[in-house]
Amino acid sequence: MSFIEVTNVSKRFRINKRAGGIPGMIANMFVPKYEYKQAVDGISFSIEEGEMIGFIGPNGAGKSTTIKMLSGILCPDSGSIKVGGYTPYKDRKKYVGNIGVVFGQKSQLQWDLPVIDSFELLKAIYRIPEELYQKNLNRFTEMLQMESFLYQPVRQLSLGQRMRADIVAALLHSPKIVFFDEPTIGVDVVGKETIRQFIRELNETDNITMIFTTHDMQDIEKVCDRLIIIDKGSKVYDGELSGIREKFGTTRQLDVEFTQECEIEPVENVQVIPLDNRKKRFVFENRDVKIDELMNELLTKYSIRDINISEPEIESLIRKIYNGEVS
Amino acid sequence: MIRDVLHLIGVYTKTIMKSWFQYKVDAVLRSLAVFLRESTGIIVVYFTLLKFDTLNGWNVYELLFLFSLLFVTYGIMILFFTGLRDFGGTVRNGGFDRYILRPRGLLFQIIFVNADWFAAIGHGGLGIVLFLISASKVGIVWSFDKAMYYLFAIFGGVLIQGAIFLFLATLNIYLLETGSLKELFYWNARKFAGYPLSIFHKAIQTVMLYVVPFAFVNYFPAQYLLRKEDMAAYPEIFLYLTPALGVAMYLLAYVFWRFSLKYYKSSGN
Repeated sequence: MSFIEVTNVSKRFRINKRAGGIPGMIANMFVPKYEYKQAVDGISFSIEEGEMIGFIGPNGAGKSTTIKMLSGILCPDSGSIKVGGYTPYKDRKKYVGNIGVVFGQKSQLQWDLPVIDSFELLKAIYRIPEELYQKNLNRFTEMLQMESFLYQPVRQLSLGQRMRADIVAALLHSPKIVFFDEPTIGVDVVGKETIRQFIRELNETDNITMIFTTHDMQDIEKVCDRLIIIDKGSKVYDGELSGIREKFGTTRQLDVEFTQECEIEPVENVQVIPLDNRKKRFVFENRDVKIDELMNELLTKYSIRDINISEPEIESLIRKIYNGEVS
Repeated sequence: MIRDVLHLIGVYTKTIMKSWFQYKVDAVLRSLAVFLRESTGIIVVYFTLLKFDTLNGWNVYELLFLFSLLFVTYGIMILFFTGLRDFGGTVRNGGFDRYILRPRGLLFQIIFVNADWFAAIGHGGLGIVLFLISASKVGIVWSFDKAMYYLFAIFGGVLIQGAIFLFLATLNIYLLETGSLKELFYWNARKFAGYPLSIFHKAIQTVMLYVVPFAFVNYFPAQYLLRKEDMAAYPEIFLYLTPALGVAMYLLAYVFWRFSLKYYKSSGN
């Protein structure tokens, strides 16, 4: 039995479908028409304690719905969810004391009050013992360099500062699991890096299980060990980050700069794209063409100034997965 | 356990107060604005009544006493049930999701996280002013029993309105927006409640007695203390029902709330 066990979970929403214009509005009042949207469609996965999961997918793929079911906000239509022995939507009050949730787009801080006041409020809500509260507060504010704005009203903070404060707010009660829903959205490069480092470090030192949704591939590459990709409510990939390259990233490209302009003889299974006069790009599938043989052939036949092999970017691979170009 | 809950309520209230003091001038002005807005209605009634002398046997001070009950109960009610009044917004902006994520009762959080002190001071203040103007001039001989009755009537009146708010808030789970329903049922009924029930058409009386029972918020408690002749049209028992009706309606609304929670769909991103 894993720490988090999601078995065959589905959830669909009923959406009121209105015809356009005022006649449509009136018609809808008397004869409402509904459409059903399958937000999550039979998803299963399991997560061990202390894992760092990147949970990604295009907009509308069902990420948020899954996170909401895992955190107990929504109850699934069918299937079962077990987290650390609890069923989230049934054992809500006992369960939620063990989790922290950061919604990048929705702050849980008191807008008009200094950051520290929101923390004091959370201390009372979660019944955090004084000693633990002080320990966590000091540690996290130091790690995230928050001393300078701890006593400033939230409304005066920059987005990056607010996000850091929101992350601490979700961690004060020492949760065992933390859900990060786009925790770096709108934050500048330096701020993002601070947040990533903090999350990474905390995952390693405290063995907190973390589930991370984002649209920023840098977040994923720098933070997560394992990826779960979902699309249209179903899981399309579950495994290590490096596995994506092995599974989907089979295309290689070789950029070659020749010493002078020349004609290239066609090579089997290799596509040749001229870049400029003396530069050409060779694109091929890893399994069809041996890269050393191709390079040998080029080196013996032509005079070459520079050569550059590249693997496809994770981002472009994931874009391909979203677009259904690979399977 | 109880100490823990009281402590939390204290921290919530302190937080609300602190936010309030961030905008001191605005806070005073908003309370004053509510006070004056509600007063204008009363002033119109006052000058109209000066021309007519009585309304179905009620003189102007007795009417002000009737009004005072309405405002005092609303002032207290809104202190506790602001969160229910604004629940539609809380659902739409995802605030309710956050309540679910905290290890505390949902209704408890809705009630104690918010308190509209502006409305409370505006309405409650007006209620107290009206009470002070009218109470000595309507011939009530205050005794311990009557004072107790008055307090229980206030308690019942607060719960009746709280139950209506809870019921309408619960509908938000299904409809997302219920502002116009509240306008239709609550505020319109409340406009009638400013006047003696007996002056209205039977249909309106039925609504005020059995649908949105505002008559039990102020008319019957006022009748108990004033004993006007038009009371003859209603059963004597109505004079004593307010606290029980308040508790019953609130429990019923609470059951509806508990039942509806499992249909909560969240607002989406």
